[in-house]
Amino acid sequence: MKVLQDMDIGELAAFICNVLSNHGIECVLTGGACVSIYSNNRYQSGDLDFIETGESKRSKIKDILSGIGFEEYNRYFKRKDVKYFIEFPSGPLSIASERVNEISEIEFSTGILKLLSPTDCVKDRLAAYYFWDDKESLEQAYLVATVQEININEIARWSKKENCTGKFNQFKKLLIKNKNEA
Amino acid sequence: MIEVLLGSVNKERVLIYLVARKSGYAREIARYYESELTPIQSQLRNLENANILASQSVGKTRVYSLNPRYPFTKELVNLIEKAIYFLPDEEKQKLTVYRTRPRRTGKEI
Repeated sequence: MKVLQDMDIGELAAFICNVLSNHGIECVLTGGACVSIYSNNRYQSGDLDFIETGESKRSKIKDILSGIGFEEYNRYFKRKDVKYFIEFPSGPLSIASERVNEISEIEFSTGILKLLSPTDCVKDRLAAYYFWDDKESLEQAYLVATVQEININEIARWSKKENCTGKFNQFKKLLIKNKNEA
Repeated sequence: MIEVLLGSVNKERVLIYLVARKSGYAREIARYYESELTPIQSQLRNLENANILASQSVGKTRVYSLNPRYPFTKELVNLIEKAIYFLPDEEKQKLTVYRTRPRRTGKEI
């Protein structure tokens, strides 16, 4: 197996996911790292955000990650020779007001990674665009939507529930425009 | 009012202030309640670490607001709005009616 410092973001995330799972801690990768993985690094994230699906003490996570060389700084975990930060944002695993029901898995040489599905990854990015008007997140949602198979009807349903149909329509127009130009 | 439920009077203050005024920073909230700054800062950080609040830097100030991506925000806001409804009229007025229009630099009043 590759050494940690040579792993790409997906390999490292899968490795971390497996190390934690071997100690009984189940985590799902969320946030920008999912965009990196689904877009084959066309967007590059610098951190791995894992949400725990159970309830574990932070001290246990700290001990496990310390065993593979990651030390805690300001709620982040960092290893000097690895460029990515690891964080465990507080759960539950959700996209705005809805819980995440479907978790995807991707097998890497370093282990099996549990992460948001492409559709939920797009919703996760769109949430930042909807609520904070963050254009970078809109671009990330667009990137994933153009390279992965997503369920646009599901995103429309969720957007309506979050009272964001107007912004969803802008996103959909962007996708259609891109499709017509391709 | 709901401090027992929330576990801390300063957490109640922070949440009431942020729901009523949509956003705020530690010194402003502490000044409003005439309380110590440190426990207010501490509650803001705790709530942010739990994803209940989000913050961003405006100049040198960290401004907090409710995190709309937190799954219980709607329910939390409903609870806090009900707590605000039960505040004495004078307190409610002070909390919810405040100047938001611009004030020219150097103008004293």
